[in-house]
Amino acid sequence: MSSKVSRDTLYEAVNNMLSQSKEKKRKFTETVEIQFGLKNYDPQKDKRFSGTVKLKHIPRPAMKVCILGDQQHCDEANANNLPCMDAEALKKLNKNKKLVKQLAKKYDAFLASEALIKQIPRLLGPGLNKAGKFPGPLTHSDSMVQKVEEVKGTIKFQMKKVLCLCVAVGHVTMSADDLAQNIHLSINFLVSLLKKHWQNVRSIHIKTTMGVPQRLY
Amino acid sequence: MVRHNNQLPTNLPQLQNLLKRDPASYKDEFMQQYRHYISTKLVFEMKPDQYNKDLDDLVMFLAQVSHCFSQDLLSYPQELMDILQRHPTTLHPDMRKTFCRALILLRNKNLISPTALLTLFFQLLRCPDKELRAFLKNHIITDIKNVNSKSKNIKLNNVLQNFMFAMLKDSNVTAAKMSLDVMIDLYKKNIWNDQKTVNVIATACLSKTTKIMVAALQFFMGSDEKEEDSDSEAENENVIIREVGMAARVNKKSRKREKQMERVKKTLKKRSNSKKAPVFNFSAIHLVRDPQSFAEQLFKHVEGMNERFEVKVMALDVISRLIGIHQLFIFNFYPYLNRFLQPHQRDVTKMLLFAAQASHELLPPDVLETVVSAIVSNFVTERNSAEVMAVGLNSIREICARCPLVMNADLLRELVEYRTSKQKSVMMASRSILQLYRIINPEMLPRKERGRPTEAMSELGIRAYGAVDAKGYIPGAEALNPDVEGAAAEDEKEESEDESDGWEDVSQSDDEGWVNVSHSDDGEEVESDSDADGSDEDEDDDEEEVDSDEEVDSDEEDGDDGSEASGDDSDEEEGSEEESEDGGTIETKVARPLSKREKKKQKRINRDIKRSKKKTVAAAEDPTLIEERKSKAAVVSLSRILTDKDFAKIDAAQVKKQLDASKARQKRKLPDDLDDTIKRGELVRLDDIEKVYKKRRHDKDSRLTTVLEGRADREKPSRKPKRQNPNASTTNREKSKKKNFMMLKQKAKGKLKRSFKDKQITLRNALLKQKKMGLRK
Repeated sequence: MSSKVSRDTLYEAVNNMLSQSKEKKRKFTETVEIQFGLKNYDPQKDKRFSGTVKLKHIPRPAMKVCILGDQQHCDEANANNLPCMDAEALKKLNKNKKLVKQLAKKYDAFLASEALIKQIPRLLGPGLNKAGKFPGPLTHSDSMVQKVEEVKGTIKFQMKKVLCLCVAVGHVTMSADDLAQNIHLSINFLVSLLKKHWQNVRSIHIKTTMGVPQRLY
Repeated sequence: MVRHNNQLPTNLPQLQNLLKRDPASYKDEFMQQYRHYISTKLVFEMKPDQYNKDLDDLVMFLAQVSHCFSQDLLSYPQELMDILQRHPTTLHPDMRKTFCRALILLRNKNLISPTALLTLFFQLLRCPDKELRAFLKNHIITDIKNVNSKSKNIKLNNVLQNFMFAMLKDSNVTAAKMSLDVMIDLYKKNIWNDQKTVNVIATACLSKTTKIMVAALQFFMGSDEKEEDSDSEAENENVIIREVGMAARVNKKSRKREKQMERVKKTLKKRSNSKKAPVFNFSAIHLVRDPQSFAEQLFKHVEGMNERFEVKVMALDVISRLIGIHQLFIFNFYPYLNRFLQPHQRDVTKMLLFAAQASHELLPPDVLETVVSAIVSNFVTERNSAEVMAVGLNSIREICARCPLVMNADLLRELVEYRTSKQKSVMMASRSILQLYRIINPEMLPRKERGRPTEAMSELGIRAYGAVDAKGYIPGAEALNPDVEGAAAEDEKEESEDESDGWEDVSQSDDEGWVNVSHSDDGEEVESDSDADGSDEDEDDDEEEVDSDEEVDSDEEDGDDGSEASGDDSDEEEGSEEESEDGGTIETKVARPLSKREKKKQKRINRDIKRSKKKTVAAAEDPTLIEERKSKAAVVSLSRILTDKDFAKIDAAQVKKQLDASKARQKRKLPDDLDDTIKRGELVRLDDIEKVYKKRRHDKDSRLTTVLEGRADREKPSRKPKRQNPNASTTNREKSKKKNFMMLKQKAKGKLKRSFKDKQITLRNALLKQKKMGLRK
């Protein structure tokens, strides 16, 4: 049995997509998304899956990561030119729903130092969690920049209220090979999450933000 | 003909019949009846609370023939609706029902728009008339179902949903309840399974009226019970088929029976065909729009609630489900729940279930710790009965499965200590906790409880609070060959599998790591041979290995965890490492199994030397091995798209990792619930907590039944002396028992008298005996 999506079709689709986006330049870097349609999947019976995977190449370099840290981390963040907030600043938000929501909207992801992270739910209330942006832990031992890169490279598969998923796996300025690698990994990962693997997959498309979807499977 | 004509004006059914056949030629008669209707209607409107037989008949008649004269009857439906709207409650009940039925008829002929009619019917639900309400509800449901049968009529649905939303806030409780029932019914029938309906029902959970609230809560609780029904249905079908088939085979063949059999087959086939691919929908709880605020509101509602306990339990159930599924933060919920965590609390298992359901990974551990400590102090103490302890332990297990960070090593040790309890239920519950922690975090267990290290353990690390487990590869993908492309490579892979078969019984999970290296080597043959030899001795080796391991453990008290986690594996690695120091090449590494026994000996001799090396070598070796595996998995998962076959292999590899690396063959089967413990559903089952292993003592009745059962095939006890030959005659002794005493008097007396000589002899014997006894002393 050969694989469901051959290498050639994948590369063809990727190249198509890239050339299309070059033909009609947009005023921003388009993101490459991958869309999955599922079938034979009973969200009531089977556990709703969610999984995270770290891609090799960062799909969205412009992602903003905010550090919620103690003094040491804040200093480090300032040195690295990363946005940061300390406990005092968080307390100032005063669980105000609107402010927390604004904070959640402003950044794409958060990292919190270990000492602080357990207080986050108490300090900020459910706002961050609601937005699906609960911070990840950050210890003093690991390097901040590396951790931030890691967070940027991490994508999350989560099925919400419909039987399809869509995640960003790259952007148009990436090379075709890099894109292919990311796509490979994300497809493999998602399919490995499914109970019956390929039998649960209805369709796979890739597209750029403004481009035409290319069917892979 | 004349007679016929005369009868027509009064005989409505006949006229109806004729009209339907040939409307054009009976137009006059129809118009006559229509005029009659108009006049009677006017009369009726004077006194709407009185029954009017004429009007009753006429209304139905007109509704029946309406499709033939739709032009003339254009205003007719509106008139009926007007009457109903004007006096909804004052109308005579029978008349009201007739009007409704007429309207439904018209609706079925598609002469009225559904919106207008359904809104009217919803208003009529306020009537104090049970029969009518049930009738209307039925119609509303079927009508909406029919409208949406082909394609969803979104516009209409929107209007109706908005209307029902308004109805829920209606002052009339029965009407509100009715419309809620309608919505729930439609949801269950998969007609209105959208978010909006669910959210409208969610608002009903906060209703002040108990009835409405309970119905809505039950809706959120019970939406996952449907599957079981369908299962049992399928089972029933099988039973039917089997029964009928058996009857057909056994019974006398007749044409009638043959036909019957055919019919059964056909209907069953039809039914199985009509079963389309099952409609998948999300359970209602997933569709709630803003779960956090909904749960908060509901909780506030519960706190101030003054209802019966059962209602409270339901509300708590829904809240805990919401918290667990949507990972909400409601910190007040846990202290509130703590109040109910007492052994004598009513429905305490449910309360424990809620505690487990309401725990999730993102919850700060200190919040849940209060719950766990409450359970420990109230349930898991020696003064409680075994069941109480077991239930407490089970619930702690469920909480920990969902939020591993609440546990600390001290508490865990204490809980695991119960595994040797005399009571089976407690023992089993404690073991289940042990089993769980072996999987999720062996480090926390006391060292000797960690079990044999498996490969899966080395890959697993407890996640810090809030951390996500994001891998750059697919776990288990290292089992695949990285450079497989196309069919030719596929063969190669088969080959490599064959080779690895030989390896499997020695070190099951390691082989994949080594296949690649050995691939090009010449030494393969030798290796597999040596394996065959080695496997015989394996078990003995294992024993020794364990012993030596434990000794090593006890010797070095500060032993580093890294080497411990990988245990036997790393031991073997060290051995090979050592040899490679001697021999110096990779090939010795490959031929590791060959020298396994030798290695063992060497190991024992050189233990002292090794111990000094152990920390450094093992610590260096092990991470690199894992790292290597990781990078290989990453290469595989980055370079190609895996097929179903590949995934099967990956799954197999993952299972293998769970197996004990050092055991040659799995003597015991893996526990069945291993899977369960890893993959838990989103909801906790009550069975998980109530699972108390206990053999109950007999009560009097059941004891008696077992006694009687035992007696069943035992013959009746008889007074007769047991003889070998039942036909033998009675002895003199037996006969003497039945005889009159006077007959035996002489004999009995004779026995008493002994002759002087006899007495002398017995006396002498007795004295002799006494003497002997005395001597012995």
